[in-house]
Amino acid sequence: MLRRGIGRSERFRSPARMVGSGRIAIGGSMRFRTRLGVALSLLAFLAVLPLRAPAATEARVVNVYNWSDYIDPEALKRFERETGIRVQYDVYDSLETLEGKLLAGHSGYDVIVPTAQPTLARLIKSGGVQKLDRAKLPHFAGLDPDLMKRVSGADPGNLYGAIYLWGSTGLGIDPRKIAALAPDARLDSWDLLFDPANAKRIAPCGITMMDSAIDVIPTVLHILGKSPDSTDPADLAAVEARLRAIRPYIRNFDNGGAIEEMASGAACLVFDYSGDVIQAKARAEEARQGVTLRYVAPREGAQLSFDMLAIPKDAPHPTEALAFIDFILTPDVMAGITNKVSYPNAVPASRKMVREEIADDPGIYPSAAALAGFFTVGPVAPAAERARGRMWARFKAGQ
Amino acid sequence: MRGTVLGPVWAWLLAFVGLPAIVLAVIALAQPADGVPPYELGAGFDDLATVFTDPYYRDAFLASLRVSAICSALCLLIGYPMALAIARSAPARRPLLLLLVMLPFWTGFLLRVAAWVGLLRDDGWINAALLALGVIDAPLPLLHTDGAMIVGIVYAYLPFMVLPLEARLARADPALEQAAADLGAPPWRVFLRVTWPLSLPGVAAGLVLVFVPVMGEYVIPELLGGPGSMTMGRVIWTELFDNHDWPMAASLALVLTGLLLLPALALRAAPPNRA
Amino acid sequence: MRRSRFLGGCLIAAYGFLYGPIALLVLTSFNDSRLTTVWTGFSPRWFIALAGNDALIDAALLSLRIAALAATGATVIGGLAGVALARLGRFRGRGLFAGLLAAPLVLPDLLIGLALLLLFVATQQVVGFPERGAGTIVVAHVTASLAYVAVVVEARLAGGGEVLEQAAMDLGATPLVAFRRVTLPLLAPALVSGWLLAFTLSLDDVVIASLVSGPGASTLPMVVFSSLRLGATPELNALATAILAVTAAGLLLAWFVQRRRFGAGR
Repeated sequence: MLRRGIGRSERFRSPARMVGSGRIAIGGSMRFRTRLGVALSLLAFLAVLPLRAPAATEARVVNVYNWSDYIDPEALKRFERETGIRVQYDVYDSLETLEGKLLAGHSGYDVIVPTAQPTLARLIKSGGVQKLDRAKLPHFAGLDPDLMKRVSGADPGNLYGAIYLWGSTGLGIDPRKIAALAPDARLDSWDLLFDPANAKRIAPCGITMMDSAIDVIPTVLHILGKSPDSTDPADLAAVEARLRAIRPYIRNFDNGGAIEEMASGAACLVFDYSGDVIQAKARAEEARQGVTLRYVAPREGAQLSFDMLAIPKDAPHPTEALAFIDFILTPDVMAGITNKVSYPNAVPASRKMVREEIADDPGIYPSAAALAGFFTVGPVAPAAERARGRMWARFKAGQ
Repeated sequence: MRGTVLGPVWAWLLAFVGLPAIVLAVIALAQPADGVPPYELGAGFDDLATVFTDPYYRDAFLASLRVSAICSALCLLIGYPMALAIARSAPARRPLLLLLVMLPFWTGFLLRVAAWVGLLRDDGWINAALLALGVIDAPLPLLHTDGAMIVGIVYAYLPFMVLPLEARLARADPALEQAAADLGAPPWRVFLRVTWPLSLPGVAAGLVLVFVPVMGEYVIPELLGGPGSMTMGRVIWTELFDNHDWPMAASLALVLTGLLLLPALALRAAPPNRA
Repeated sequence: MRRSRFLGGCLIAAYGFLYGPIALLVLTSFNDSRLTTVWTGFSPRWFIALAGNDALIDAALLSLRIAALAATGATVIGGLAGVALARLGRFRGRGLFAGLLAAPLVLPDLLIGLALLLLFVATQQVVGFPERGAGTIVVAHVTASLAYVAVVVEARLAGGGEVLEQAAMDLGATPLVAFRRVTLPLLAPALVSGWLLAFTLSLDDVVIASLVSGPGASTLPMVVFSSLRLGATPELNALATAILAVTAAGLLLAWFVQRRRFGAGR
């Protein structure tokens, strides 16, 4: 740090200054006073940190940590009314934030909503979540057994999580714009994006890819006919080649921002979650700017992802957590949530209470035939994850 | 008297800077593992070694330095005239002008970054204006580029340059400048020989306040920058959250701290009184 | 002193740069359409929605409280640190002192947040507190913005003023009185600058708050960043406009009061 002082002679120093510079000790040892100052200050600071009242004297409360805009607020109010348990509801925008908090320990949360793969699987492995006490979850039995079986790859035996909402990763398209640019392209195939000829024609109206290696790479592996969990470097190289071929036509990489891009018509072909596309569709309809959107789960197969209700290992209020989870799993509550956020749930009994336009939308509730072609992914070893991450970074940078 | 000045500061620094630094060093030496927290205590120096030997990290560091340098220079370029103008204005008006500098920042920089997104997008205001004027045929890709990130950073960090600079310039004795002018020096000479040198501590303060934090900036590159827009903050975030490699992230942090701290420490260790 | 027109022009251009995006924000908050760049009509609906959005309002109030506390704490401690560095010459452990002070400046927010988080967790395991929440955010914010205040204060003091202090002491004042009567008034603008800096830092911080907060302590930036990642809602623009209006009103009030007190003009 540069300092300039007005020039002063060093020779003349007042006695007071000498004290200040510590050359003369006056009135007791300076060192002792400093130490006393330190000790008193420490005590003062510790007093500043708020102490929570012990849990026993608190009214019952459950701390929920969920994705943004991912619940029906009415459901929370109803829960509070019916059980008397106050809901402290916090939201996060990315799995990373959730994992970071949980991996640090003592997050203070009772109910979390991690994605089955990779987050819940990782938390199970590292001992961050506790087993669900089925005895206290009568509505657990109402979950679709087929979907629960799909998710058991991440949660063997379905011991740690209950499906909250789910979706797939496919293509969001504006059928009119694409038909204008590439009239002969099949709208229900991955080739719409991954065939360079198609990508080139569609590029002018805006192609966006989600900035998520863990979502894109397994899909490309699946398209190439390989296992979506493959960590073979040769397979990864094949994926990179396929991606490179379309890189020049991708205008943007996005996470969540794709919704507004789609809704405003800036992008006409997007690789994104089903839920994002549905939300964009709703916004586009509201804006009445002539943007029509559709979600397509390509016929070659799309990746399934599940968001699970789970309880951290060190949750301060596990009983209340179970009560909350069970409440969410009741069919009418589940239907209310699906109606609000337009994501499908895994409770078949709720289907009849879901609004028609949602229940009948194949983009939201895929047909059984389509569902059969969907795939799930397993965990990836850290070394392979790193290799994938590097490849993704190269791909994005266009090198 | 010294005790009251130093005591509280020492207490706070030791408790909330010293202790966490030790924790960080401990984690840097640990091994990644599955568990809560995701590391196993140990004494492994391989992460630290990787930071120095792997070209990926070296390139990232250099890229980050470049971003910081450009942003600092731009902040100085824009901020100096601002600070000078404010410092020279009527004393009654100065607080108002300063608060006008701060006011945008009380709306929260996140929202203003969102406003920049609205400006720079393909269907945003700037492209719409250029298209309407016929200057371009197709939208320019302005968002998610290094340029957008730099604009966003300069926009957010400008007051960190203006405020300390203004504080320093306001202190300057106007008589000195007046004397130089009276002696016949043209305004640019007065500036170069009197104003600028006197303001250097403020410039240094401002530069430090911009250059250093920008190295570790994460949010603005994330919202405005492109995939290749690198700051060390982004690199460390990736290690921490995408790779779940806390020891590596901690190692990067330590190395970065050391590299940035050393020159600052050397300068500080010298006492302020120099004839 | 002759006011340079060039400087004046620069100042106006700079304010234009600062306020341009803000003006856009205000404009967009009255847009009837959800989409940012497509104007469909003038409408106050987002303000109405904002008034009913408890989550945002609570987050905003919490953020303001935390920022005020953190700024005051940082100004006190950072101010003391700046004084120590500028006036106390060589003291024991000065190198370490300066190093610890500069560390939060150098460390990315992310690591300050993470390191403090781990400290809090470890402490909680051993002694049962602190529970992470608003208090831990305040502590983290004070720690992060200390150095900024110290730098501003030190820059202010370093250029001189020792002459005045020395003069005061030669006239018989004790160091404490000299500090109160000479140094402190000298420092006042720097302290105000520092407080404002620390306040802004706290109000804007996303990363640290996200890491060290706990249930029920969601700050406004946390809520906003989440929403931005998933597509900004226009209610946020309305909030920004509201905050701007309130602060502008407060500003005008302060300015009028000052004019009344000190007379118009000089």
